[in-house]
Amino acid sequence: MPVIELQDVSKLYGFGDATTVALDEVSLRIDKGEFVAVMGPSGSGKSSLMNILGLLDRPTHGAYELDGRSVARLRANQRAKMRRNQIGFVFQSFNLLPKLNVLDNVALPLTYRGMTQTRRLKKAAAMLERVGLSDREYFMPKQLSGGQAQRVAIARALISDPSIIIADEPTGNLDSSSSRLVMELLADVHKTGNTILLVTHNPELTRYASRVVFMHDGTIIGDERSKLGDVPKLAKSLYFLPRKTIEDDLAGVSVLMQEVEKEGPKKSKKAKNSTKQKTRKYQSRTKKKGTK
Amino acid sequence: MLGNDIKLAVKSIRSAKWRSFLTMLGIVIGVASVVITISLGQGVRQQLIGQIDHLGSDLITVRPGRLVNRDIAGNITSVNLPAFLGMSSLSENDFRVIKEAPGVGIAVPFAAVNGIPHNDSVEMPDALIVATNENAPAILEQKVEFGAFFSQEETTKEVAIIGQRVAEKLFNENVPIGKSISIRDRTFVVRGVFEGFQSSPLTPNTDYNSAIFVPYEAGKRVSGGNVQIYQVLAKATEKKKTKTTIQAINDGLLNAHAGQADFTILKPNENLIITNTVFNLLTGLIGGIAAISLIVAGIGIMNIMFVSVTERTKEIGLRKAVGGTNRQILGQFLIEAVILSLVGGLFGVMVSFIANILIRISTSLQPVITLPVILISIGVALVVGVIFGMAPAIKAARRDPIEALRHD
Ligand SMILES: Nc1ncnc2c1ncn2[C@@H]1O[C@H](COP(=O)(O)OP(=O)(O)OP(=O)(O)O)[C@@H](O)[C@H]1O
Ligand SMILES: [Mg+2]
Repeated sequence: MPVIELQDVSKLYGFGDATTVALDEVSLRIDKGEFVAVMGPSGSGKSSLMNILGLLDRPTHGAYELDGRSVARLRANQRAKMRRNQIGFVFQSFNLLPKLNVLDNVALPLTYRGMTQTRRLKKAAAMLERVGLSDREYFMPKQLSGGQAQRVAIARALISDPSIIIADEPTGNLDSSSSRLVMELLADVHKTGNTILLVTHNPELTRYASRVVFMHDGTIIGDERSKLGDVPKLAKSLYFLPRKTIEDDLAGVSVLMQEVEKEGPKKSKKAKNSTKQKTRKYQSRTKKKGTK
Repeated sequence: MLGNDIKLAVKSIRSAKWRSFLTMLGIVIGVASVVITISLGQGVRQQLIGQIDHLGSDLITVRPGRLVNRDIAGNITSVNLPAFLGMSSLSENDFRVIKEAPGVGIAVPFAAVNGIPHNDSVEMPDALIVATNENAPAILEQKVEFGAFFSQEETTKEVAIIGQRVAEKLFNENVPIGKSISIRDRTFVVRGVFEGFQSSPLTPNTDYNSAIFVPYEAGKRVSGGNVQIYQVLAKATEKKKTKTTIQAINDGLLNAHAGQADFTILKPNENLIITNTVFNLLTGLIGGIAAISLIVAGIGIMNIMFVSVTERTKEIGLRKAVGGTNRQILGQFLIEAVILSLVGGLFGVMVSFIANILIRISTSLQPVITLPVILISIGVALVVGVIFGMAPAIKAARRDPIEALRHD
């Protein structure tokens, strides 16, 4: 049974000569309990897609059914309520409110459901325990490491028991060990039955996903289901894709692709040594920049 | 939700203490000036009512000039304020007409005598010298506490009965009987000291605690043979005849003035109407200033709230992403603005209480701060908060969540 069903969804920004087609008639069906990794070069429309799926944005054209209900044309108020009950967001930049402590940050979504403070804080404390940060309840966000901040953000995303978690590059600002922790956490959440949508530039992370969707220029050019723990073939073969622009290079996308190409065959054996691998990637990236 | 919004607002206000304080200042000043003005007005009115109670409701006051306009039924329709500042006076003939009008029991002239009283080197320039007749204590219902008033026969005698402040100021003692006061080239011997008069400042009634009462003819002599009768007080022989007596005085004076009503006959409670008019003018003036300061304060709040909304754009985006509706976001920012102005209003009330005490200590005014005044002024602060907080709150509520989240 699909939780998400997109039919010919387009998203256009601007108008006239300045129109950007961020999504070009995308159709996508996601079943309950899937863990979908979305990949693709910068500007390919991943975030645009997530924003529409997360009801933060409306498609310019096309139909979107969430839980069998058509939501493309809902009013702002109703979309806010659906976000509140069904969707949890995890952002690349954490987006914790700097003036609230960790516990209050986690409890934030519940304030909009009219829950009493005692119940809110109790639930938030339970969530913090789940992400392993019980001892940080009264810390302020700026006192946390990036990995801790992201785990707090995940606790916040989980607190209203949403069926869908949308994580747009949640590990983009984290080092590899923190990334691993965050991903393990998401995998954990996935096991409890949540549908997870993950945007990532790191093919390695697709191991946690049950399906990889690859985007390019606003369209889906690849869609592959895989066993948990494997890097899907598609992710490995990314380097076949046309290398777009210098910007892509700068964003490191093509470098990552090359990494996959080089290390792809050996990876299954070396997977556990991911820190080392990351360092090497970093070195090759800087080398590449240096030669330019 | 509301409690949570309030907590949040307090947190956000406290996190920028100076900014919040400066923003509130306008409201503080505005509310304080509103409360002080109204309480002054009420205080003066209460003092006047006390005085009227004291003088009795059958006292008839005759003044020169047309101070008020009346409708056919005789009710005051408007007050001619410039007439209060006019220099006209009643003549001795007018006094005679009043005294001899049918129904009049006693009539007492009050004439201002020029000159600055002094005792050796001590002068009292703000003293009022009143030339009057022997019935003054009776009509003012005021006892002479020490000594005695002059009699009818003593109208040319150079004696003085003084108010308490005069005793203190000129002689620095309570009972300076037998001592002398010099007025121009004449010397008046103090004969008595009045009990304290109830004063009612800012009204057409004088504060007689600062007055020196002298016999009519003696006073006239000091002024070189001419005095200005600024009022005549009269009472009917019987209280219930007051109305017909007023009519008789009116007829007599009209006759004496060749039909022109260039004088005014007031019943005691009509003093209140005049005071009200004077006060409404003052209140209007200060009220206008207060209103402007409240508007300026409101604009200040609006400005700060706009800044706050911009600074917290990312927060707005996040709150929307986790399910805050436009209305909930609006509520959050509106409540912050309202709390800002409400707290300002409370401070304003506090300031006005302090001002009240200072005014009571340093002047004879007795402002009265009543609960309704406090409630109204806090209500005004609330309304200012809502009105000027609305635009920034709407701006916050209408932010697009994605753009807001991207903001930094
Ligand atoms: N608010 C906007 N106004 C105009 N154009 C936009 C806007 N948001 C996105 N775009 C354009 O839409 C296209 C898709 O952007 P999107 O952010 O979805 O890419 P992405 O795949 O998430 O990229 P990245 O990997 O860099 O995050 C890009 O060409 C971008 O310039
Ligand atoms: Mg993106």
